[in-house]
Amino acid sequence: MIVCYLGVALIPLLIDPRACDCNIFIQEKMTQDIEMKEQQVPAAPSNSVSSTTPVLQHLKEIAALIETGAYAREVRRILRAVRLTIALRRKLKASVVSSFLNVALAPGSEAHTRLSSYLPKDDENDMEVDTASSASQTTVKHSPELEIYCYLLVLIFLIDQKKYSEAKACSSASIARLKNLNRRTVDVLASRLYFYYSLSYELTGDLSEIRGNLLSLHRVATLRHDELGQETLLNLLLRNYLHYNLYDQAEKLRSKAPRFEAHSNQQFCRYLFYLGKIRTIQLEYTDAKESLLQAARKAPVAALGFRVQCNKWAVIVRLLLGEIPERTVFMQKGMEKALRPYFELTNAVRIGDLELFKSVAEKFSSTFSSDRTNNLIVRLRHNVIRTGLRNISISYSRISLADVAKKLRLDSPNPIADAESIVSKAIRDGAIDATLDHANGWMVSKETGDIYSTNEPQLAFNSRIAFCLNMHNEAVRALRFPPNSHKEKESAEKRRERQQQEQELAKHIAEEDDDDF
Amino acid sequence: MNRRWRREQGEEANTKENNTDRSFKFVKGMDPKLTEVSQLFERFKAALVRNDFDTCSKLLSQLKILLIEFKSLPPLFGETPNAVQELTIARDIYEHAVVLSVKMEDQDAFERDFFQLKPYYTDVGGRLPQSPQEYPILGLNLLRLLVQNRIAEFHTELELLSGNALENPCIKHAVELEQSFMEGAYNRVLSARQTVPHETYVYFMDLLARTVRDEIAGCSEKAYDSLTVKDARQMLLISSDQELFDYIKEEHPEWEVKNGLVVFQKAKESAPCKEIPSLQLINQTLSYARELERIV
Repeated sequence: MIVCYLGVALIPLLIDPRACDCNIFIQEKMTQDIEMKEQQVPAAPSNSVSSTTPVLQHLKEIAALIETGAYAREVRRILRAVRLTIALRRKLKASVVSSFLNVALAPGSEAHTRLSSYLPKDDENDMEVDTASSASQTTVKHSPELEIYCYLLVLIFLIDQKKYSEAKACSSASIARLKNLNRRTVDVLASRLYFYYSLSYELTGDLSEIRGNLLSLHRVATLRHDELGQETLLNLLLRNYLHYNLYDQAEKLRSKAPRFEAHSNQQFCRYLFYLGKIRTIQLEYTDAKESLLQAARKAPVAALGFRVQCNKWAVIVRLLLGEIPERTVFMQKGMEKALRPYFELTNAVRIGDLELFKSVAEKFSSTFSSDRTNNLIVRLRHNVIRTGLRNISISYSRISLADVAKKLRLDSPNPIADAESIVSKAIRDGAIDATLDHANGWMVSKETGDIYSTNEPQLAFNSRIAFCLNMHNEAVRALRFPPNSHKEKESAEKRRERQQQEQELAKHIAEEDDDDF
Repeated sequence: MNRRWRREQGEEANTKENNTDRSFKFVKGMDPKLTEVSQLFERFKAALVRNDFDTCSKLLSQLKILLIEFKSLPPLFGETPNAVQELTIARDIYEHAVVLSVKMEDQDAFERDFFQLKPYYTDVGGRLPQSPQEYPILGLNLLRLLVQNRIAEFHTELELLSGNALENPCIKHAVELEQSFMEGAYNRVLSARQTVPHETYVYFMDLLARTVRDEIAGCSEKAYDSLTVKDARQMLLISSDQELFDYIKEEHPEWEVKNGLVVFQKAKESAPCKEIPSLQLINQTLSYARELERIV
């Protein structure tokens, strides 16, 4: 009775496993909206200085946000500032960035001169803006957070403008500056800087140069309990190692680095993807599949490239496990073209045709080598043979080994002996249920018994229920709450408001429940 | 200090061609350590040709101690003036050490020496001309991992190799062996022994043959009801009946030999379930109830 109820209740979860993750994203988006509304409030008084472009105005608002965040030690505000900056990214221009630098940093200071040297100087009309705004700002004492933010802004701008060598110089300078800062409010900005630091080196193909630096940064972040930084740096290091196929080192680092609850969903996705890759190479396919599918599911919808990569690897891992991925996997929106080679590969494995498999592998060999999945595809040959063998064993109750060799299209000098040993290994591994008759050269398939007379269905049912329950628990655990929310003081009025809201919500849920039954 | 400055000046003034020439003279004249190492290494190589393993291992440990003093070698990678010579000779020494360990049939020593050698291929590969021994040794290592059944490490090493390397006969040999081994085409594995690309491979191929025999025995046990003694002998690559009986006694005492047949004891078939595993079911149902309690 209980079991029945459970099965029904959790079916929606099974059908769309992404449902729970979606909720989280929606939630995240909602908080973002709320934050944006809040953000208008401090911006209002400074609106009067609207002589400059709206982008610059926005940047100034962000700077104010960072200042208040740094002053009140609220990491949350700085996080929001970073998010707002990413939204502005497309609209940045050299003139805007340089005039913002003039506002945010004292002209003549070391950081100011260094950062402006990276920017191209072409605009003339912003000169007056410069002088006007800098005159009013000279007295203000700037926080190191703002300085780091300026580094970040310039770096993002340079990368978007494809000025990679300047970006490299800028990021190296920012990392050098960061080493002397030990403030928790900087951590958020620092973790973004680490990311762009690595990105700028990757774009110029010098990723191996910064490995030592990243390792020492990771060490420092661990000592300072900067978990976001650790998370980001660990991922960057894994990426760095995997870029050079150093799976051994990557796994050693991963298994020894401290683990904790993920702070950022994006970083967690990346971690899962790298983990899945490492496990695939090391033949732990079941674990690899789990990590890769989870990474693909958790990734934001906008991260199409990332999801395509995850899916490619997941398809191969499932094939290696002897599963055949469903057609819908290959028909996901925006992925059809990228997954086409893998679709044809799957088809070849499904039919168990070695010739077809070989021709597909050859046809798309350039794709596979650029995806760096070539070696994995070589491993698949074995699975193709197994599938072919399984098909034969199902269709014939008795077949000569010579025919098996012919059907599998084994091209070897001694096909019968090969077929015999291949079949015997398949029998031992439990892939087919048959016996061999050496004297006559036959393979005799066994009658398949009634599966419902064994414990098998019960076991399968149990594993499915366990999956559903586990999914529910994971979803509950994945719900996110703002950090330190319990510490924040709330006024009496706010509390009353909140309690009222909660009551309403509870009533609502109760009503819905009534409707359900 | 002054002398070093002058040397640098001199080097700059020199043209590129006689630069190497000069540095070589510099080595002979200035660095007694390097000459000592190369002399010792010559003696080691001579002993290796004679197959005088005792002398070899003695000389090798002396050489390794001497190598520690060079600052340019891993893990320090110091930029000393004759770094290239030092690196080259160190790589050469470790390559010979690997070969020695194979000849002495010492797998642990092989692993140690190989790991000491590896940085010379990966980390300073760009600074030295490629060693002709590189691919044979990498292939040998792959073969070792295969013999020791460390397939995960085998694939991890494989990922490090470029497309060019995979085309090399020494590497290809090992890769194809692994494939045949996984598929179960054991006679292909065995026939590969005749086509070894390098003489050092024979030792591991023999070990592999032993592994393959055990695998075949394991598979036959499951796949056949019985085999004639003659067939079993052929399949397990055993030359005489007596040896076969000894092998059965040692490795598979559960097999029976009667009327010229080897009869395998089948593992108990999974019989249809007659009893309901009640305790297990109760446990499961209780855990569902507990989880449900948490949800509702």
